[in-house]
Amino acid sequence: MTIALGPTLETERLLLRPPTREDFDAWAALMADAEHVRFIGGVQAPEVAWRALMATVGMWASEGFAMFSVIEKATGRWIGRVGPYAPFGWPGTEVGWTLVREACGRGYAVEAATATIDWAVDHLGWTRIIHTISVGNEASKAVARRLGSRFAGPVSLPPPMSAEPVELWAQTADDWRASRRAQTVTA
Amino acid sequence: MSPASRLATVLETDRLILRVPVLADFGRYAEMLASEDAARFIGGTLLRAPAWRKFLQMPGAWTVQGFAMFSVLEKASGRWLGQMGPWRPEGWPGNEIGYAFHPDAWGQGFAVEAGIAARDWAFETLGWNDIIHCIDPGNVPSQKVAQRLGSRKRGPGTLPPPFEDVPIDVWGQTRSEWLAAKRDQPASCRNNA
Repeated sequence: MTIALGPTLETERLLLRPPTREDFDAWAALMADAEHVRFIGGVQAPEVAWRALMATVGMWASEGFAMFSVIEKATGRWIGRVGPYAPFGWPGTEVGWTLVREACGRGYAVEAATATIDWAVDHLGWTRIIHTISVGNEASKAVARRLGSRFAGPVSLPPPMSAEPVELWAQTADDWRASRRAQTVTA
Repeated sequence: MSPASRLATVLETDRLILRVPVLADFGRYAEMLASEDAARFIGGTLLRAPAWRKFLQMPGAWTVQGFAMFSVLEKASGRWLGQMGPWRPEGWPGNEIGYAFHPDAWGQGFAVEAGIAARDWAFETLGWNDIIHCIDPGNVPSQKVAQRLGSRKRGPGTLPPPFEDVPIDVWGQTRSEWLAAKRDQPASCRNNA
């Protein structure tokens, strides 16, 4: 019996599926890369990262959505987590992204986020997509811009993320659909 | 047996139902973690947002490994009373049978009643050869529960992060101790329906 926690989405270079126990080593390595994860709550010991992985699977099991694990098709490597995220007290329906350092700078975040925004709009019925981004995280803001989202002001996050100064970026599902239609016409 | 096929596990005792946690349990769980008395020995009080993240570890662990703590419900009322059951987070010093109960469920024998069912399930269904309980040296009520489940104090231990600074004693029992105690007990006293 396989667990169908959620769908597998496929893009040109990536597979996106709900996380599994087998993702743990790569997940823990990502969260041990202190400089790289400074904008998403900071470094985590592997034992703490395990709990976050379990909570992510628990979100899939309980609510039917959460971040996807992102697999690079060419290598089979786990390269990060991207997708819908709306923990208790969150200021909206987020599509977020965290990729391992080696996978950055290749357009993967935009590619994976695009597939998961499509899914969130079509299957979860989300009417607004937000991204909560640390003030200093310029790389992530560039991804938000390329997705067509706009700066929407400062925002505060619930604990344990409440200390961090964070910006809200956002777009409506209608804006997303319109720009996807325009891309299709151009293509 | 695959992890997913255990998601439907339900244990029943005289007064209690033990089943896999669902989101509807969260309100009472958050109340428990907001209570100074109830949360003191299990990592401290939590606001609702971090409590929600912690709550979801259980359904997540059930999904990927086929066991985690059960939600304990009062059969008569459906009221969520607490959590009880097998728990082995990364880096944990053994196969825990852990428990935490809402303050309004204390003092009625619920923890022992649920603990017997969970302990037997861990030995019988998970095939564990040893179980432990990591208990704060100051948490006398929890030590009494461990004792009544047939465990004894083995001595001080250490937990992995985020609990590396929490003082604990490891309590526990082996499979052969469990089997011996079962043999000595008349069937009418067993509570593993």
